[in-house]
Amino acid sequence: MGRLAAMGQGRRTMRLSSIIRLYRARLRARVVLVQELFALAGIAVGVALLFASQVASSSLNGSVAQLTSGIVGHSRLQLVARDPGGFDERLLGSVLRLPGVAAAVPVLEQRATIVGPAGERSAYLFASDPRFVSLGGTLLRRFDASALARQQVLVLPTPLAHAIGAGALQTVELQIGGRDVQALVGAELGRADIGTLVESPVVLAPLAYAQQMTDMRGRITRIFVAPRAGREAQVRAGLGRLAAGALNVESAGADADFFAQAAGPINQATTLFSAISALVGFMFAYCAMLLTVPLRRSLVRDLRHDGATRWMTVKTLLFDALVLGVLASCLGLVLGELLSATLFHADPGYLSFAFPVGSQRIVTWQSIALALGTGLLAATIGVLTPLRDILSRPMRTGAPERRAHRPDLTLLALLAGLGCLAVTTAVLLAGTVGLTGAIAGIVCLTVALPLLLLPLLGAIIALFERAQRRLMSGAARLASIELRSPPAQARSLAITTTGALAVFAGVTIQGATNNLQHGLNRLFHDVTSVADVWVTAPGTQNLLATTPLSGGAYGTLSRLPGVRAVGLYRAGFLDYGSHRVWVLAPPMTAAHPIPPSQLIDGQEATANARLRAGGWAALSQALADRLGLRIGDSFTLPTPHPATFRLAAVITNLGWPPGAIVLGSRDYVRAWGSAAPSAYNVMLAPGASAAAVRGEIQRVLGAHSALAVETAGGRELRQRAASHEGLQRLTQIATLVLIAGVMAMSIAMSAMISQRRPQLARMKLEGFPTGGLWRALLLETGLLLSAGCSIGALFGVYGQLLQSHALLTVTGFPVVSSVGALAAIGSFALVTAAAAAIVAVPGYRAASVRPYPAT
Amino acid sequence: MLELRDLVKHYRVGDGEPVRAVDGVSMSIARGELVALYGPSGSGKSTLLLMIAALLRPDSGAVLVDGREVSSLAADDGARYRLHELGYIDQSLQLLPGAHVIENASVKLWLTDMRNAERRVLPLLERLGLGGRLHHRPDQLSMGERQRVMIARALSTDPKLVLADEPTGSLDTRRGREVLTLLGELGRERGAATLLVTHDPQAAAIADRVHALRDGRLVEYEPDHLFALEVSAVGGGGSG
Repeated sequence: MGRLAAMGQGRRTMRLSSIIRLYRARLRARVVLVQELFALAGIAVGVALLFASQVASSSLNGSVAQLTSGIVGHSRLQLVARDPGGFDERLLGSVLRLPGVAAAVPVLEQRATIVGPAGERSAYLFASDPRFVSLGGTLLRRFDASALARQQVLVLPTPLAHAIGAGALQTVELQIGGRDVQALVGAELGRADIGTLVESPVVLAPLAYAQQMTDMRGRITRIFVAPRAGREAQVRAGLGRLAAGALNVESAGADADFFAQAAGPINQATTLFSAISALVGFMFAYCAMLLTVPLRRSLVRDLRHDGATRWMTVKTLLFDALVLGVLASCLGLVLGELLSATLFHADPGYLSFAFPVGSQRIVTWQSIALALGTGLLAATIGVLTPLRDILSRPMRTGAPERRAHRPDLTLLALLAGLGCLAVTTAVLLAGTVGLTGAIAGIVCLTVALPLLLLPLLGAIIALFERAQRRLMSGAARLASIELRSPPAQARSLAITTTGALAVFAGVTIQGATNNLQHGLNRLFHDVTSVADVWVTAPGTQNLLATTPLSGGAYGTLSRLPGVRAVGLYRAGFLDYGSHRVWVLAPPMTAAHPIPPSQLIDGQEATANARLRAGGWAALSQALADRLGLRIGDSFTLPTPHPATFRLAAVITNLGWPPGAIVLGSRDYVRAWGSAAPSAYNVMLAPGASAAAVRGEIQRVLGAHSALAVETAGGRELRQRAASHEGLQRLTQIATLVLIAGVMAMSIAMSAMISQRRPQLARMKLEGFPTGGLWRALLLETGLLLSAGCSIGALFGVYGQLLQSHALLTVTGFPVVSSVGALAAIGSFALVTAAAAAIVAVPGYRAASVRPYPAT
Repeated sequence: MLELRDLVKHYRVGDGEPVRAVDGVSMSIARGELVALYGPSGSGKSTLLLMIAALLRPDSGAVLVDGREVSSLAADDGARYRLHELGYIDQSLQLLPGAHVIENASVKLWLTDMRNAERRVLPLLERLGLGGRLHHRPDQLSMGERQRVMIARALSTDPKLVLADEPTGSLDTRRGREVLTLLGELGRERGAATLLVTHDPQAAAIADRVHALRDGRLVEYEPDHLFALEVSAVGGGGSG
């Protein structure tokens, strides 16, 4: 009985209700249901990968932007200090008297480490007075303004309070710039109070109390200004006059802009990796659909046989796509949400050295729309794949069928694949690989992979066909026949492509991330090895040693046994144009003020000598390029005491995305107007042990010292860990791609095994033993997998080179460009092991199917 | 060669009454003999074939092939029996889609005589009129040709027993007659006992003996049963 006739289809149109009835009737067949479920799972994996990587990208920028907006409220401008020492709070009166100023609010902020009974966390101490509430920022709008002013307490977001194990009315310790003070927690702020800002690492305090704790009485670091309507330009000009070149006048939300700039490189890197993930996710989804091509080809044949017009057939297939796409996308979103919540933590590590970065997850509608669209697109292209093949010929039951893949199609795929590969090679050979170029290159490489797999797989199967004739093995012969079977070609291609993509993406992303990490590791060694023992302010936020130390420990340290010399290391952040750059000045005695491995342009010895002599500086390449500087050119830095320098050398960004500047020690003191070091670099006497001297320093400083003492090796390890954390999103994306790859492979293999059961049952009827069929299954899938994964690994190595070049350009980090064999082998092993496990166990069960004649 | 002794197989469908699929069937087929078995849908024909092929255990009774009980063989022994002693043909025409005619026909020989498989099956294929189609794939063959490949595969190991379940079910009258004739001739030439389960009225003409199965019982075949069987076949479709 025809399907259409069964539905009473006499007319030439097909109602939606009829399509739904047909769909439900088809799903009652177990084989159809199982195959559709596999396709659904496959698409869901792709969508999940795409969604999770998108969420990772949007969360980082959003966290700082949210906090900034939560603080600034409706203020438009700010007057901000150029160093943590701040400026005289009496300037507030002058600001308030400026024409056009509606409100002005003083703020003191300091990077701090807060220590509670259960642990310690780096945080931003943010202090203001009751006037701040009037600005209407989310962070403080629920405060009782007068209460805030009177109390001598800290207010913590609940997650931070929980992290350190402190609650209301408990005493905690605050370490600020080498000072250690006790403070009382007055209240906790929950999500109901400050929304998503609850995830921000801030400690709130009344201004007067914070000034007392930080020993900065009468000083503030910012003034937020709300101008009257239409008077912003006038107020900005007035602030500029008050700043007198020693303070910065910026928009109130400038921190978010600085952060966006600082996070830009790593975001671009994430965008790059996300683009790969998205493409790979789409391909996974499409491959999952390819596995159902035989099923859908049979449906189309039946529909046409029963008199369905082409348009009816298309509508039926599109309904399939709609159901599959919507269900799979929804499942993918849930899966992606789980992945992003459990795997992706928006903790940018090193970026928190200079910015109050929270850990909130931000899901935008664009991320959801992109993921949904991808799922629907993959489902639609997937269901329509057999249509062209079938509608283009008359439907004759029993008539000899032509081959699934015509030679001209294979040739076309070969040419197109080589073309794509040529584009990628051209991008790689171009030298500097920007974000757009890298994405174009990687898209071409990803597209080239399945295109070239088609002819390559044909060649590999032909070679296997020849080889198996010598083996005289029934299992090998069966495998060979199955591989060249036209109906199985789409399935074979889907499995090979899935494996290839999984390994390709894993190798590309993991390899490029490893290269980046290796480059940073080399840098950390160069930077930390200028001293044997480091004495700094504590906290992970101070890993770049940018917190000035109060009090002098120089004399004490110098006199300790085992200490040959103590150098004064100085560093800080400087808002330079749109960049918050890292400025560092190693001690005069340092053998290499400029880390040797980071020199890009200039002579090392000359540059170091010039730095020591004074008046010269080394700039990271992005900064030098932006300013159009060459060696010897002069430029002025907007330091608290603006100073002019000449360019001694061009260096990498020393792992700090916005850029780095290396100054001579005396120049730093002059430019900042302060001799306060931010670290003591202790050099050991011959024969002294770093660990012993560290212990001695700790003993002398006392148990309650707010100074951290660590060996160069220990500090290097900590820096590595922080950078690893900073690159976590890249490694997480790499992990996610691998997980998705393994899941996609598992789904593809399971679908393939499920499809083979009827044929296996028939072979059992002919007397084939379970073991023989299992071996055939293993051989067949082993060949597909090894071919796919090997080719994927080769493409992955190519992709890794391209990505490493791109990361070098995009991030300015000291990326090591190398081919990571370990990453390739690891990804290869993981994907093939997962697939082999799928074939080995369920494959054996499938081969153990009860022999039964076909019905 | 083949002896069925009082074979009984009952099914229980859901919580309902037990269905007597095969109810005390006894018969024997000698070497080289072709027996046609007619029966309407649900008469128990397929169940009977499954028990003879050692794919289904009878509730009672025995299936003897050359005096050896085969209906209760262990899985591996059952596989060996089907490989060496049995040829099974059905109407599904389920060939390996990627294999050429000569490969499809020699599939069973891969397990017993891989080296000589194709050489051994070649005369059989030529006898079946497929000599010029040896390197064609199933999708390049007509339905009749595909059925002949199935026959070649079933006979490739020189089985003692051939079971054919509606082998002409997918063929037109002329091709059906050709296939039945070839099956009869080859079975006799090779001394194989052939049990042919069919609705095809042409089968009676080539069979040495004809039986009918009704409600699981073997009944006397009468030529006018055929019309009734055909009517029921049109109504029910397929074999029982």
